[in-house]
This record gives sequence, C-alpha cells and structure tokens, in this order.
Amino acid sequence: MLPKADPNDPTMPDHEQLLLAVARDRDPAAFRALFDHFAPRIKAYVRRLGADSSAAEELVQDVMMAVWLRADRFDPSLASAATWIYTIARNRRIDRVRQERRPELQPGDFVPDAGEELPPDHRFEAAETAFRLRTVIGSLPPEQADVLRLAYYEDKVHAEISAERGIPLGTVKTRLRLALVRLRRAFGEGE
Amino acid sequence: MTVPAHHPAPERLLDYAAGSLHEVQALLVASHLAYCPACRAQVAEMEACGGVLLEDLPPEPVSDALFGALMTRLGEAAASPPPAPAPSSGGLFPGPLRRAIGAEPEALDWVRVVPGVHLSTWAIGAGTASACLLRMAPRARVPAHRHTDSEMLLVMTGGFSDEFGAYRVGDVASYDTGTPHHAVADADGECLCLLVQDRPLVFTGPLGWLLNRGFRF
Repeated sequence: MLPKADPNDPTMPDHEQLLLAVARDRDPAAFRALFDHFAPRIKAYVRRLGADSSAAEELVQDVMMAVWLRADRFDPSLASAATWIYTIARNRRIDRVRQERRPELQPGDFVPDAGEELPPDHRFEAAETAFRLRTVIGSLPPEQADVLRLAYYEDKVHAEISAERGIPLGTVKTRLRLALVRLRRAFGEGE
Repeated sequence: MTVPAHHPAPERLLDYAAGSLHEVQALLVASHLAYCPACRAQVAEMEACGGVLLEDLPPEPVSDALFGALMTRLGEAAASPPPAPAPSSGGLFPGPLRRAIGAEPEALDWVRVVPGVHLSTWAIGAGTASACLLRMAPRARVPAHRHTDSEMLLVMTGGFSDEFGAYRVGDVASYDTGTPHHAVADADGECLCLLVQDRPLVFTGPLGWLLNRGFRF
C-alpha cells in the first residue's frame, strides 16, 4: 500500500518526505539522513529505559532495519515520522529488553461495524499536530510533565510511579489525566 | 454491534501507549482497541506525544561503524523473503488475543468453577499478573468473591451485569482490589470474557508490613 499523500508537496516537513522517498525509491541517501537524525535519539530513548550502550546500539539497528523494510506502511496522514519510529522503537525495546512480546493491534484486527471509524477531528495532519503538541508539552506544569516523562522514559506504570515517588495513586492519576486533557487540545481544531 | 461504552481508564491507555504496561494487561488493552475506535484515537494521540518526546531527547551519538553494520544486515535481510502475515480477520477472539492463544475457543479446555461458570486451562502469567478466559452460561452467577487482586474483564461474546453496570461486547470492566461485585450473565446467551488479574503492589517502605496487612491511612 503506497502512501496517499503527495511526496512532492513542498509543505510536507523533511522527515516525512524522507520516509516516503525510502518507501517509493528505496533511496539510500534519504535513509542515511533519517538514520543520522533518529539513530542518536533512539539510542538516547532506550538508554534512558535501562539498556547499556551496546544493547542500545543493537536496538537502534533493529529499529532502523524495520524502518527500511516497512517504510511502505508509513502513512503521513496518520502519524508523523517521529511518532511512527517511536512506536517501532517502543515495541522493539519491549520485545528485546523486557523479553516480552508486545500484544500489538494490527489494521486487520478492527472489528467491523463497531461504530464509525475515527471521527474527523482525529484525522489530524500529523506533522502540524506534532508542532502544537510540542508547545503543549513544553507548557505543562512541572508535576504533570514529570509523571508524563516517567511513563514514557522510565518504564513505570502509573501505580509504580506512585509507589516509587511516594505520591498517592489518586494524585498520579489526577496529574496524568490533567496532562492528557491539555494534550488533547493540541488535536482539536479549535481551542 | 455498537461502540463500547466501558473503557480502560485513560491512565491505563497511557501506560499502553508509553510502553510501560506489562504484557498481560497490554493484551487486554490491545484486544479492547480492536472493538473501540474512540480508544484507538486516544492511543494514537498518546503515541504522537511519544513521538514528540523522542524528538526532544538529547541525542546520544552512535558509533561510526553502526550505519555500515546496519547496511550489511539489510543486504542479508533482502535475500530472505519477509514472513507471511498471519491471517487477521474472522474468528471469535480479537486479533491480539487470537495471536496470544493460537487457537479458537472450541479447541480450548475448560475447568468448571461453579455450575455454569468455567475458566480456560489456557492462561498466561507475567510478573504479578495473569490472564485466562471466563465463560458464563446464560443467567449464570459468578459467586461473590473477595478480591485480593485487581481485576479487569473484557467481554467478547454476550454480556453480563453487576452492581456497577451492564457490559456488552467490547466493554471493559475494572475492579480495584477489595471491590466486591456480583456478576450475572445476560439471559440471551453465553458470555465469554478475557479475565486479567493482578496482585496489588507490595509496599516496601518502613511501614510496609503495616500497609500490607490491609491498614489504610
């Protein structure tokens, strides 16, 4: 399945364009550029989650291999390049570092007739949304940003955040929910 | 069928999107997503948040040889064809659960708990959590039980009700530790659920022995 978006659209930001070029042309220069940008970030991500340097580089290889092999599944109307690569890195880390298999939803799994598909306001222009999202994350109150980073970077479910930080579970839930409400605003067209 | 009315808590969806949710609970969440467009949309938003956080991490340089090693591996991978994707549609179980079990309900063995209520011999466990299937005959009652564990149920066929609500296909019922509930299967057919249980966290602080004995401030 080829991406529906026009890869020559000049408004399309770079990383999405590079991924589409990898999918369409198997373009090695585009792949190198993606590697140069994302490999050090994937490494930083899995290092934070406890992998040592060599395990982290193994994982970087795994993730970038998947990027090359599955680039044709990238759809810029559903996710930004960074989001798509994030989900691959997250799943690979779980499989390899935690020695678990992540139960993953596949597109063919959607139960038909279970109501309408995504409401229109969720068909977001992924890269633009990422820009708004970054602003929202940057302006979160520190205690909300903290629980959010713990969830993404420290492999802690909210109950573990509570136990480890000595913050009551209800407070952790409240902070996460408040953060989520703010994040959702980045996706709605209005305020 | 209709859209699910009972969903996992938002912080549980976040744990799933962030990758911190453990395998057993993640199986229930992924299976719920197969039924629920609204939760799929929410998880997509949370994953976009993960994308932004990935972009914003201070990069850690990788070794110079890494790109070359990667290209060598890619050259080898190109020689072997990718594995055929497993068939994904059809069947009674949502895709993630079907792949975890590797069988359809008729191929499973069951143990009777009380008349009309069966648990599958298929079960998975990881850490403090475990999952199996729960089958209730029409109008069957699950006996009142004290939870020392938290519980989540995902309805896959039929429906059941308890003092907190009525649950239909795709719905998730969540019960905290110590919440008594009395589930009764709907009258119009068998009810099949995925049941996930998890032991509460063990408190390890100086007052842990006290908290673990059930004292609460």
